[in-house]
Amino acid sequence: MKRIIADFAEIARDYITYRDLLWQLVLRDVRIRYKQAVMGFLWALFMPTLLVLAGLLVRMAVADSAQPGIGAPGIGGIAARGVLWATFAAAVSFGTASLIGNAVLVGKIYFPREVLPVAAVLSNGFDGLVGGLVVVIAAPFLGAQATMALLWVPLLVVLLVLLAIAVVLAFSALNLFFRDVKYIVQALMTVGVLFTPVFYRSTDLGATGARIIAYNPLTPVLEGVRLAVFQGHNLLQPLVVEGIVAWSPWMLGYAAALGVGGLLIASLAFHRAEGIFAERV
Amino acid sequence: MPNGFSRSRGTISFNGVWKKFRTGEAHDSLRDLLPALFKRPAVGASDDAPLRPREFWAVRDVSFRVDPGEVLGIIGANGAGKSTVLKLLTKVLRPTRGTISAPGRIGALIEVAAGFHPDLTGRENVFLQGTIMGMRVREVARKFDDIVEFAGISDFIDTPVKRYSSGMNARLGFSIAAHIEPDALVIDEVLAVGDLAFQTRAFARVAEMAERGIPVIVVSHQLDRVASLSTRAMVLDHGAIAKEGPADECISFYTTQATKTTEEIPLHSPIRLTALDVPAQSVKSGERASFRVTGEIDPGVDLEHTEPLGLRVRSTSSGELVSIFGNKRCGLTIREPGRFVVEVDLQFNLPPGVYMLEVHPHDGRRQRPMHQSLVASMTVTEGTTFIGKNQLNPRMRFAEPRTDR
Repeated sequence: MKRIIADFAEIARDYITYRDLLWQLVLRDVRIRYKQAVMGFLWALFMPTLLVLAGLLVRMAVADSAQPGIGAPGIGGIAARGVLWATFAAAVSFGTASLIGNAVLVGKIYFPREVLPVAAVLSNGFDGLVGGLVVVIAAPFLGAQATMALLWVPLLVVLLVLLAIAVVLAFSALNLFFRDVKYIVQALMTVGVLFTPVFYRSTDLGATGARIIAYNPLTPVLEGVRLAVFQGHNLLQPLVVEGIVAWSPWMLGYAAALGVGGLLIASLAFHRAEGIFAERV
Repeated sequence: MPNGFSRSRGTISFNGVWKKFRTGEAHDSLRDLLPALFKRPAVGASDDAPLRPREFWAVRDVSFRVDPGEVLGIIGANGAGKSTVLKLLTKVLRPTRGTISAPGRIGALIEVAAGFHPDLTGRENVFLQGTIMGMRVREVARKFDDIVEFAGISDFIDTPVKRYSSGMNARLGFSIAAHIEPDALVIDEVLAVGDLAFQTRAFARVAEMAERGIPVIVVSHQLDRVASLSTRAMVLDHGAIAKEGPADECISFYTTQATKTTEEIPLHSPIRLTALDVPAQSVKSGERASFRVTGEIDPGVDLEHTEPLGLRVRSTSSGELVSIFGNKRCGLTIREPGRFVVEVDLQFNLPPGVYMLEVHPHDGRRQRPMHQSLVASMTVTEGTTFIGKNQLNPRMRFAEPRTDR
């Protein structure tokens, strides 16, 4: 236990000492993405827009005449969740390759290696902010409700960032030892959108489906944002729609536990393994 | 601190450091990863596992100490472990066994442009590389103008570095690293960066940093640079320290070892050179300097075919022998056994640099030194009487009678 505390003290000290490097790496990643690029800032909107269109298509395909159309809140919900999902997926793919992508630095110069995957997540977070800003501007026209529940959104976004950093710390390190981890992650992120409530609501899956999909740690985040923004739902209260559990406060606890716990475990494992990174890049 | 590493005040020290590497592809990644996650040895790594197949010791039992103000030169062939020692010191690698202690901020003139991104401008890269090397943004900003001016690329600072020549790239990288204010400094083969003018400035800069009273370690194949920077040196051979001592002795040891011309020193040689006294350590190019060699000859030695005093002059920058001669070839015969003292007077018709004077008994039959004996270094400085690489003893006369007007 003493050792673990000592490790976390070291990790904290590393982040503090090298915070300027972290910031410079984020700047580097953002700059090279927007330099010499055709789309510039439109890039940040590209994936979410595609996802919204794909979502509408999926909804049209599965729609039956008995149900009402998707409506403005439906589109808004897909847009909000689409931005979050696209940001998460990009951060994880990009972050997993971050140690290999900076092999020369890792092999030759000392600095805490954590800054590379964390910078990768934060620079993708910047794209997410641009996309998110557009959704925020459009939200009033898509049926967003100005309630106190909106205060849940920043908390959920922070949870998403913690989850992304935890996943990226683990995968980027594993990728040094097993080079196919990067491809596995890419495959997961490609099909992951189908196993996450982005195009659909968890209640669309029925009682059993909703219960199973709630185990996806992104479900509480994405559904939480949708319910808070477009239904004004207070996330401390459960919500049951047509006999199916759409929300339970436990889901929030589950996501928070995974985000914080995952981050702590991944940080510790990463920190202990980083001494042999230079020999594996 | 990482395993086997601790912070020290002002002094670099290695205590019995070993580092294991593996050749070929690694197929058993889990075996490396799992122990790293669950074992966390306290300071003082001690992996006593024997070598497995295809493993080897890149650094074996290396111990040394560099105090503030000292400059240690490390020389050795490619693959001798020089860079591994520096990587262990800068915490890029962790020792397999042994402990290392070093001051907090180590300035590393190693891979000085490694963090550059080709699409970013020089300005952006200065901040990026500076923070990678452990500087704060504020600090980089404060030194920014000096860095750019030293690199001599002010006109191109807002150009992406992919448009830079390789020399400009290296100059900018060197300049960033040279503006860190470190507690210790390590230099690995960066003195050959840029054109001749920049190399001279870079060398002066490094010498200036070395004089700040911090411990410095220099790794270079430019032996004359090592000789003039170092207060002490160390020769690495297959990961182990083969020799330690004054820089000139180590350079001589390394160059003779590398060229493999001398034989093992016998336990008792019938001809022994006991002293080499060089009063002046430096001489101007083209001028004369003299030194004394003292030796002893046992009775009954065949002096017909040996020269008790052979001398070779070696350039430390190239390791090449620039002149070989002996007492007979200089017209001095030593006929009697016993003690002798010979004064050698040389005209240093040599380009500026550091040269090794190597004296040894010469075996005339086999045309080679009997064994290595004594060495001393001589620094030749810029002179006016001789300029060039070789003294051709030119003679000039009028080919036609002059016609006076």
